[in-house]
Amino acid sequence: MPESTNQKITSVGIDIGTTTTQLVISQLTIENTASGTLVPRVEITDKEVIHRSRIYFTPLLDRDLINAVEVSKIVETEYKAAGLTPEMIDTGAVIITGETAKKENAKAIIDALAGFAGDFVVATAGANLEAIYAGKGSGAALYSAQRHQVTVNIDVGGGTSNYAMFHEGKAVDSSCLNVGGHLIEFERHGDRITYISEPAKIALKHTGQRLQPGERVTLPQLRPIVKAMAGCVVDVLKTSVHTELTKELLMTPPLQLAHPIRKVMISGGVADYVYALNGPTTMAEVTAFGDFGPLLGWELKVCLERDGFVLEKPAETVRATVIGTGTQSVNLSGSTIHLQENTLPIRNVMVISPFTSLIPETPQGIAEVIKNEILRLQVDHFEGIAAIAMKGPRTMSFANINILAQGLLLGMHDYLCKAKPLILVVEADCGKVLGQCINASANKPLELICIDQLEVDNCDYIDIGKPLMGGRVVPVVLKTLVFNR
Amino acid sequence: MAVANNELEKVIIQSVMEELAKKGLLSQKGKDHVMAAAMMDTPLVPNTESEEMVTFPPQEEMQISNPFNADAVKAMKKLTPARIGIGRAGTRPKTMSLLRFLADHAVAQDAVFLDVSEGFLQRMNLMSVQSAAVSKDEFLQRPDLGRRLSEEAVKIVSEKCEKNVQVQILIVDGLSSTAIEANIPDLLPALMQGLKSAGIKVGAPFFVKNGRVWVQDHVASIVNSEVIISLIGERPGLGTAESLSAYMIYRPNETTVEADRTVISNIHKGGIPPAEAGAHLTDVIQQILAAKASGVKLNQQK
Repeated sequence: MPESTNQKITSVGIDIGTTTTQLVISQLTIENTASGTLVPRVEITDKEVIHRSRIYFTPLLDRDLINAVEVSKIVETEYKAAGLTPEMIDTGAVIITGETAKKENAKAIIDALAGFAGDFVVATAGANLEAIYAGKGSGAALYSAQRHQVTVNIDVGGGTSNYAMFHEGKAVDSSCLNVGGHLIEFERHGDRITYISEPAKIALKHTGQRLQPGERVTLPQLRPIVKAMAGCVVDVLKTSVHTELTKELLMTPPLQLAHPIRKVMISGGVADYVYALNGPTTMAEVTAFGDFGPLLGWELKVCLERDGFVLEKPAETVRATVIGTGTQSVNLSGSTIHLQENTLPIRNVMVISPFTSLIPETPQGIAEVIKNEILRLQVDHFEGIAAIAMKGPRTMSFANINILAQGLLLGMHDYLCKAKPLILVVEADCGKVLGQCINASANKPLELICIDQLEVDNCDYIDIGKPLMGGRVVPVVLKTLVFNR
Repeated sequence: MAVANNELEKVIIQSVMEELAKKGLLSQKGKDHVMAAAMMDTPLVPNTESEEMVTFPPQEEMQISNPFNADAVKAMKKLTPARIGIGRAGTRPKTMSLLRFLADHAVAQDAVFLDVSEGFLQRMNLMSVQSAAVSKDEFLQRPDLGRRLSEEAVKIVSEKCEKNVQVQILIVDGLSSTAIEANIPDLLPALMQGLKSAGIKVGAPFFVKNGRVWVQDHVASIVNSEVIISLIGERPGLGTAESLSAYMIYRPNETTVEADRTVISNIHKGGIPPAEAGAHLTDVIQQILAAKASGVKLNQQK
């Protein structure tokens, strides 16, 4: 049996935001890090970004409809620039974020990009996931683990500010606020307003200012509204009792603030102005990109420092989300049992987590819980493939693992009759023995994929790739599709 | 009544002492010492009711009084069972850490010196034989004796064990009987189920008391199995006394060296969970059978 000790996979990440579209290509090194006398433990040991695209303005057909054909052209151009062909890409993730995270857009882009990212093209969207990817890409997640300090990353883009709080490298909280540098548009290097977005109108109402497209503004006129927006960004970090404006601009539930914040990092297009030495002094400087991003960045810094937050500089600013998307979207399973390799890859496996508390004691009890959940989610009407996710058996004893195996077979009986594969995702380290028990209990050969040591909390769908490292692990992409909610 | 008893006790002890002293079995000094002890007001027998059980704070609890970064200590403590973040009292350990250290040391000693209980072997339906070491003391002092079966064991194994099977499983106490009782109930059924599903012919597993790893070579020479696997208690540490190793070898003979053995170690609830280890060992045994080699020779074929 050939067994390579390390393997490289090439991953592409594409971030399509309200304002900009970017792409990075990274190379992930996968290695067995366990010593010879232990059960192999395969981990991603290195992530290297091998190509960073130019930063493009997102091609739009109208204000929030993406021009998917143009996006596919960007991808094609960048592949060429990197010297890669689609066949050389192993996995990929597309994230559509901010104002453009809409169902029609996602669908069009999946179609336009099919065939550009090897085994899977993945469309992910959703403010929380975007925030987490940004925080992983900016280096906030790593910082929180290395310095053991709770770190909040705020990715301030064109339309939204995405918060992710990291504790020991793990995302523990996230939120999204409708504040960004592109909410009011100007003539480039000029002072004439060309567009005012809805959230900016709300903010203007609160500051009592009346600005209209076509009007010319001065820096002292613009500053209060930008200050108000920056204030909202900090408000979410500070307290759970928010101002009226913050309440109106929050797009998700606010941060729970369960942990005291030690450091704050800002990424996104506005970030470079947060870490600048001096703020913009003229309207021409403010509107260098046709918006008020530079001023928002500066006011944000002033506001954060005034309230005593300690700013830390991220490793990546404007490319944080796309780097996070490209390098962090692939997860590896632990040891895995899979009987028929040719069933992989499988895309869009619906994740069902039937067990909210402790797993019942008997196979019948387990089966009943599964059947109820299948009924509730109407999985029987669902054409695709479903996976059962759980923390693990009641205890790690062989007896309890066997009971779980029997309960799963009993509960999934009708589903398995349709000749669909049985896919299990378990957090505990018991994938092999659970798979073995299921095979021993099943009265006919089953197509079984049993993945362990993987958490799929808050995740709707997973993609499972072809096995790596001599069949010992599978790459799994976790997807939260906002447009399915 | 207590007073009367004490008086009576005193008289009895005194006469016994004098008798012993007359026969030259007790010196004057020894007699005085024992008498003094007998005269003490408090009874020497510990009163279990008045003894309080010591409860240790949870191991993950941080014991540093004024940490600069408590999160950092907590995160580091999560990564290791080692005694870190335990604070100090001046230059010395805190009472609780010292007591825990002594308790863990006692657990480790028990693991070595206690035997696997008869009740356990019956529950697991395991035949039991002994190595050439007749006692724990001899086992510890004479490693060579733990590496072969006693004459009686040779006879039992040759009479009762199935010959020429593909896999023979041994359960060996080694240096931790605790590891056997903690892991075998979950490991053995998982391993047996896995081997059965793979269609591998397995002899009935049995237990070797006072055994070391090499005893598997002796057993293999009698049962003539292709692969022999020993599930053996590891030398206990202060972190856990429950760790178990699996040593596997393909057809050992007189030229066998240590590098010919494949080992999976660290099987216990805090390491590789025993049931999962059973399933993993099935895979490894299948590889050994297919390659007709184990240890370094197996790795070289990969």
